[in-house]
Amino acid sequence: MPEPKSSRDEILDSIGEGLLTVDKNFKINFFNRAAEEITGYKREEVLNQFCKYVFKCELCESKCPIGLILESGNPLYDFRSNIEIKDGSRKPIKLNAAILKNESDQPIGGVISFRDLSEIESIKKDVSSAGSYFGIIGHGKAMQDIFRLVQEIADSDAPALIQGESGTGKEMIANAIQVTSKRKDKNFVKVNCAVFPETLLASELFGHVKGAFTDAVKDRPGRFEIANEGTIFLDEIAEMPLQTQVQLLRVLQEGTFERIGESIPRVVDVRVLAATNLKINDALKNGKLREDLYYRLNVIPIVIPPLRERTEDIPHLVNSFIKEYSKLYNKVINDIDDRALEILMNYDWPGNVRELENVIEYMVVRAKNESIQLEKLPASIKSTFETRKPAEEFKRESPSELLQLLKKHKWNKTKVAEELGIGRTTLWRMLKNLEK
Amino acid sequence: MYSEMLGNKYFLARNYEDAAVNFQHTINSDPVNKSARKKLIICYTQIGQIQKAFESFYQLVKEDLNFIIETDPVADDCPCVELTDKYGNILPYENESYDLKLMLAMLWLYCNAEKSLEFFKRILIENPNDNRIGEVANIIETKIRLTNKLTH
Repeated sequence: MPEPKSSRDEILDSIGEGLLTVDKNFKINFFNRAAEEITGYKREEVLNQFCKYVFKCELCESKCPIGLILESGNPLYDFRSNIEIKDGSRKPIKLNAAILKNESDQPIGGVISFRDLSEIESIKKDVSSAGSYFGIIGHGKAMQDIFRLVQEIADSDAPALIQGESGTGKEMIANAIQVTSKRKDKNFVKVNCAVFPETLLASELFGHVKGAFTDAVKDRPGRFEIANEGTIFLDEIAEMPLQTQVQLLRVLQEGTFERIGESIPRVVDVRVLAATNLKINDALKNGKLREDLYYRLNVIPIVIPPLRERTEDIPHLVNSFIKEYSKLYNKVINDIDDRALEILMNYDWPGNVRELENVIEYMVVRAKNESIQLEKLPASIKSTFETRKPAEEFKRESPSELLQLLKKHKWNKTKVAEELGIGRTTLWRMLKNLEK
Repeated sequence: MYSEMLGNKYFLARNYEDAAVNFQHTINSDPVNKSARKKLIICYTQIGQIQKAFESFYQLVKEDLNFIIETDPVADDCPCVELTDKYGNILPYENESYDLKLMLAMLWLYCNAEKSLEFFKRILIENPNDNRIGEVANIIETKIRLTNKLTH
């Protein structure tokens, strides 16, 4: 008879994200119901199996997600990848991974949570066909200029360097460049340079021959060889070790490289797209990025503005994400409360579009009506505005400031109310209270 | 930061050098950790530290021979089969170095105790004064006899 489920297992089974945990030997010791649905494996089939044989994600083939965290000490958030499921097909997922530790701070296991993105990817395609540029929403001038540039360089093989803060959509711009280019039917290989430890990145990019280092048990082609005749996207380029930057420079200049442990030059024809979220001048000044490489990559410079500098796009993005996620969560939601939208428009968005997307998903999940209400805003965003001094507090603590404002606007109460962000009636009440 | 789990990760990826460093740290703080010791023996054989491998092997065989013999190459993802294969069909009496024979003697114990015993016995013939080899051979032989007796 199967063991009764603990309440912890019941809870974990009820969540929509796939979740698996491994012990310190990397054997699966928990697999929730959503993980069964996403991968097609039954819990009984995978328990006590090595996770690399079950959770075959692209990252496992090169570096295990939990292994990466063990090495770097940093958890992995929102990492997009593809997994091979039981029937052999591949599914896009977004995964988070973390290490479980005992009271002595020793790792005793790991946890991977993952979401199936297949449905959302197809919804995104639907939405993208209606009013966006390859899934990128940008009605403002800055984004329209970028879309125009992408069209203009469609016939070019020149490298492009995409700059922008984290979450601005650099990878989406790279996708747009690739699908509009003449190489669109060839391989498109993406490498996040920050994911690989320094020692492994060169091998990942240029391949290695058997015996080149301890772990090189057989010859392995690098990503450049796989991308031959196509395009390679090097994300977080400034995280690339300087030695590897020299090798990349040679590929850009001569189109040749050597596998690690081999001295035979190999010729490739690869278009290089690179991206960074660092300020280029800082990266050059502190030596993180070689100047000669920068000039080679920056033939076509593309700078994506942060979301706070293109607030005109926020309502469009909000609508688009509401459409996507209400479809995903089978809800009928048509719009968002004006005050909530106003707060979203005034928020700084340090995580840019990605952060906005997560916020809208959160609000859609919580929404009960056809319109998303203000109270469904995440506490972190609401608190940003709540910490701004409310009018009543202003009245109680700073009558002199209020007086100064009145003088400044020559006792024009409408202007004072506007500056305080309150109604005239409220201001009138405050003045009445001051008189008491 | 070194840990047994990171050692396991490298061990699964057959990166014996880094695995050895992590297992060594684990054992320093937890000397009775048999799982780390069992894997460290294999790591040492693969990075050319045969004597260090034998030191750990000798202690573990004396302490708990079954812990090595009962290794399941598939369920434990133990590389003993691929490693013994790597060295071809070297037989115990062939004219090979002491270190190579000792390495094979140790590796075979993870997947075939009889073969391991053949190597230890041959090493003993070639080095009759090696008491610890004799001791290990006796322990393995006693275990095999006992198992055979129970089976028949």
